[in-house]
Amino acid sequence: MAKVTFITEDGNKVMANDAVGNLMEVARENDVEGILGACGGCCSCGTCHVRVHPDWLEKTGKASEAEQDLFDIEEGTDERSRLSCQVEMSDSLDGIVVEVAPF
Amino acid sequence: MLSIELLTGPKVSRVWKLVSISLCNRFRTNILDSYLLGGLFTFMPDIKDSFQEARNNSGIQVTEFNGEKIPFVLGLKDIRKTLKDWQNFSSDHPFKIVPHSEDELRSMRQIPIEMDPPEHTDFRALVEPFFNRPTEPDYMEDMSRLINSMITDIITGREVEVVNEFALPLQCRALARLLKVPESEADQWMEWGMHALTEGSGLEQYTAEQFARAEKQPEDNFFSMLNKAELNGVKLTFEEKQGIANVTFAGGKDTVINVVSSIIVYFAEHPEDLIFLKEDERYIMTACEEFVRYVSPLTAITRTCPHATQVAGHNVPAASRVGLCWPSANRDESVFEEPEKVILDRMPNPHLGFGFGIHNCLGAPQARLIIRSLLRALCEQVKSIELISFEPRIENEESFTRQVGYDRVVVKIS
Ligand code: HEM
Ligand code: FES
Repeated sequence: MAKVTFITEDGNKVMANDAVGNLMEVARENDVEGILGACGGCCSCGTCHVRVHPDWLEKTGKASEAEQDLFDIEEGTDERSRLSCQVEMSDSLDGIVVEVAPF
Repeated sequence: MLSIELLTGPKVSRVWKLVSISLCNRFRTNILDSYLLGGLFTFMPDIKDSFQEARNNSGIQVTEFNGEKIPFVLGLKDIRKTLKDWQNFSSDHPFKIVPHSEDELRSMRQIPIEMDPPEHTDFRALVEPFFNRPTEPDYMEDMSRLINSMITDIITGREVEVVNEFALPLQCRALARLLKVPESEADQWMEWGMHALTEGSGLEQYTAEQFARAEKQPEDNFFSMLNKAELNGVKLTFEEKQGIANVTFAGGKDTVINVVSSIIVYFAEHPEDLIFLKEDERYIMTACEEFVRYVSPLTAITRTCPHATQVAGHNVPAASRVGLCWPSANRDESVFEEPEKVILDRMPNPHLGFGFGIHNCLGAPQARLIIRSLLRALCEQVKSIELISFEPRIENEESFTRQVGYDRVVVKIS
């Protein structure tokens, strides 16, 4: 079963086992601080922003055009930024590490 | 008119209702044209995307309100850029947050909506925990109970007018929960009608009384919280508290009611979509955002430019206002595929129905919870909705016209 590690803004690590659905849903299930997921995963609110650990970037891929449009006007985003609601968990992401980031 | 005779049953009463709507002839014709040409019922049949042509031609539409020219920014990306640049597009303009100045409707600035950082940041942080209560599990359960029981009450198979007999009381009772005041208070708010902020509605007097009462007898509610609150060690002034209360009542009334009424009409016309919605819990989320995008009940919010600047490539003189036109952003074909269609599992859906950036809607958690709970209750309880008649609510301005929701919707629900 796929595992995810979230590193919150104050440096805490939250591990999620048996992760299914998208990363925002996994974070909400595990009460990860800083991931609100206000719009329920529609790519409209930005409250699920994470930075993907460099080792995992290739597997998650970069932000889609819709995500990039939101990031373009935000200062705190970079090339590792993703909206976690747009990253669907799969076996290939087993072990992934992401940092919770402000928006 | 021949085609009307070919229609039967509820269609006939609908057409006649439409004919009898007291609108100017032009719109009567539009409604009937699209109605008859479309053949079948269409959701929000009369006025489509009022800003499409201007959005694609120049990116702005110069509108006029009481002699003041206000260019509306129309493209989604241009609006996002404008929202971000609060130094050049300021919200610090009391009474002017909406295109028609509200100086005759209230006596104080609304807070935090008519402020810029750093003031805005402080006031927003102060009230945000209260506005985020709808994300707490107990609150969510309570809202679900309320809406389920209100839906049970209207599943009678008999005619019910849902704007005033369902959407309005629902919005008011839900607000009572948000503010932690007794549900009986909602009765008075219902009497104010669709808009909390109309001449003589008594909103200001009402909130002043609530602050005074809470001062004498503090309780765990919104008014007492504001009485106690301090910013940098200083208590809020009466005017500041009134300004916060004012936008809390005014901001979320007609907007919520119009989305709720539109959802009922939509499922009356698309019964198959109610079945689709049941297939996956995720559709409740996507459908909620899609209805907010599609209905976009708030037409425009404005900003004032302290210095001469440019918006979407057009010059704007110092001291003038620009409008952020949410429904236009939400129909932007460079962002949304088939923007005129309601797609309940639309994803991604980067709409601006609740605004974006520092002023994004504080009531969004409440509005989303109401809409999601309503969608679940409809899925669980309702077999069919028969539309008997309706009257669209039309915003008829000098420079544009658009439908924002409904004044009346009569249905039979079973
Ligand atoms: C579907 C329903 C709603 C829609 C479409 C809507 C839309 C909006 C939009 C577009 C803004 C941004 C304004 C700006 O950028 O200046 C806004 C702000 C705001 N809304 Fe809503 N709203 C809704 C419901 C509510 C509710 C239920 C409440 C209160 C309970 C509310 C209270 C507010 C407040 C206080 C702000 C100002 C936030 C700030 O300035 O930081 N809204 N709303
Ligand atoms: S949850 Fe809203 S953008 Fe991801």
